[in-house]
Amino acid sequence: MKTAVNPELQFHITNFLHYEAFLLDSRRFTEWLDLLADDIVYRMPLRATRERKDGATIVEDMTFFEESKTSLTTRVNRLGTTSAWAEDPPPRTRHFVSNILVESGFPNDALTVRSCFLCKRSRAGEIEAEEIFGERVDVLRNVDGQWKIAARTIYPDQAVLGVKNLSMFL
Amino acid sequence: MLKHSVDNRIFQGLREKMEQGLLPQWIFTDPHIYELELERIFARTWQFLAHESELPEPGSYVTRWMVDDPVLLVRTNSGEIKAFLNSCPHRGTQLCTADFGKKKAFTCPYHGWTFNLDGDLIGVVAGDKVYGEEMKKDEWGLRPIPRVERYQGMIFGNLDPAAMPLDDYLGDMKWYMDIILGRSDGGMEVRGLPQRWVVHANWKVGLENFAGDPYHVQTTHRSTVELGISPQDPLYAGYGHQVVLQNGHGINVITATAPGKPQRPPYQGLPQEMWPMFERNLNADQLKVFAKTTVFVGSIYPNLSFNSPVHGSEGHLHNYLNVRLWRPLGPEKIEIWSWFLIDKAASEAYKEAAYKGYVGSFGPSGTLEQDDTEIWARIVHASKGHMARSKDLSYNNLLNYLMGLERVLPDETFPGPGVAYPTCYLDAIHRATHEYWLELMSKEEESAGENGCES
Ligand code: FES
Ligand SMILES: [Fe+2]
Repeated sequence: MKTAVNPELQFHITNFLHYEAFLLDSRRFTEWLDLLADDIVYRMPLRATRERKDGATIVEDMTFFEESKTSLTTRVNRLGTTSAWAEDPPPRTRHFVSNILVESGFPNDALTVRSCFLCKRSRAGEIEAEEIFGERVDVLRNVDGQWKIAARTIYPDQAVLGVKNLSMFL
Repeated sequence: MLKHSVDNRIFQGLREKMEQGLLPQWIFTDPHIYELELERIFARTWQFLAHESELPEPGSYVTRWMVDDPVLLVRTNSGEIKAFLNSCPHRGTQLCTADFGKKKAFTCPYHGWTFNLDGDLIGVVAGDKVYGEEMKKDEWGLRPIPRVERYQGMIFGNLDPAAMPLDDYLGDMKWYMDIILGRSDGGMEVRGLPQRWVVHANWKVGLENFAGDPYHVQTTHRSTVELGISPQDPLYAGYGHQVVLQNGHGINVITATAPGKPQRPPYQGLPQEMWPMFERNLNADQLKVFAKTTVFVGSIYPNLSFNSPVHGSEGHLHNYLNVRLWRPLGPEKIEIWSWFLIDKAASEAYKEAAYKGYVGSFGPSGTLEQDDTEIWARIVHASKGHMARSKDLSYNNLLNYLMGLERVLPDETFPGPGVAYPTCYLDAIHRATHEYWLELMSKEEESAGENGCES
């Protein structure tokens, strides 16, 4: 693994991902969209339980998210309607992002960034919180001194999700 | 045999209410009802296992569930599809834990018994030495699911050896399955794996929602109307026919076009190159119905639903088939299995666009799907209390199934089989579905019949 990044860059990237989580948890979705490159590829393939000899446990053929900037914008716009019931009353989410590994080596000021995520969601008066967790692999691109997410792949750890829907962004 | 706090007198009372278009709220979440459903519905009716494209070659297998029965479904060397209880007959260990894969034989991790694709016990560790010659291996093969039958590539299993054949059970639903699944050469294929997620809801709510509830579309999914993705006309999901079929099945054949308004593109907007296939594979009446339809949405009793919609805009329309299994995990919980199927004969570009349309709309992150499960969970949430659960019906806990009762008459001119009503904003399928539920629920074990009669 190429991890020849300096501490300053690690700090910037960590801050960037924490800020992104802050925007999502504060429901500042329009500002969140600004962090995404216009050509973003945002995907969440399925996890499967497979025998070791059969290979990867990620199934790329089917996804939970298969998004572009346009389709993510539609999702955000939906949250602005008067009838997005899954998000109204708004559930409370916390995106915990950790284990951030920055890998350099991409051309054009791009970085591959791996992180772990845990998203907890509390709805209405329910005591039990829903949760979803896994790994994210991002490609971050430096555009005029601003980091933008050029690609995100979300790998859930569960083969059967324990959330009633994916109305949140991960 | 369980002893139940709900006996057949209760069902007789419910039948009378159902005739008046009323059904009590407690039947959805009552734990005793649920226990009885497992015995009288899920142990006796046909449940969906897989589509045959999920088992492409000899040795392919998938693991599935019939409620709480683990199922191992394999394609044998002769190409046959067999289903076994996914539990070793030696001590009951779950034999195969992967979701899918390919194997020549299944070896149990506990004591090492090995079974071939036909389920025969072919290897016993130190067999001759520990069991001797007396051990009859042919008596210790995998236990087959009593019945496995298929129609249009859809494989179903039944735990009741005496169940009616799948063909008879599906009845006139087959006519519509021919259109939805058999219209193009080569039929449909599953893409990837089914998405799976768990929701606090009762299985009958998922069933109802797809079987006969286009009425919910304009409110539950109003956000898509606000966004301009769905039509403004609040009646749009109601245009077309609601068709009541046998054995609790039902389908809505939605044109989404007001009478007199310009028709939608024919054949669900499918590419014109495919039309000759439809003419080859369907009969004249099926073509007539298919040509006018925008959405087919319905359910096959007890817990399989399907939705074949159209997404996109003029010139970029695409259609696909979403198949849903509502696997009960208790009275208040389901595991949803959601498959994406597409015509094998469609172009790769078309398949890709349709798949993206599916993920964005009816997958668990979909702009349409998200709000359904939220609302179904609220039903469970609001149905736990005494007023909702009391069985003496003194709290008005009867829910309203009155839409169209004695007001909407069947349309005799509809070309398809079944009882077709000229609107989809109607509770006709819901009433028929729950009447079938009552019929199954009040049927005692055949052998125990004598004291089970209704008065
Ligand atoms: S339980 Fe399978 S071999 Fe013993
Ligand atoms: Fe819906």
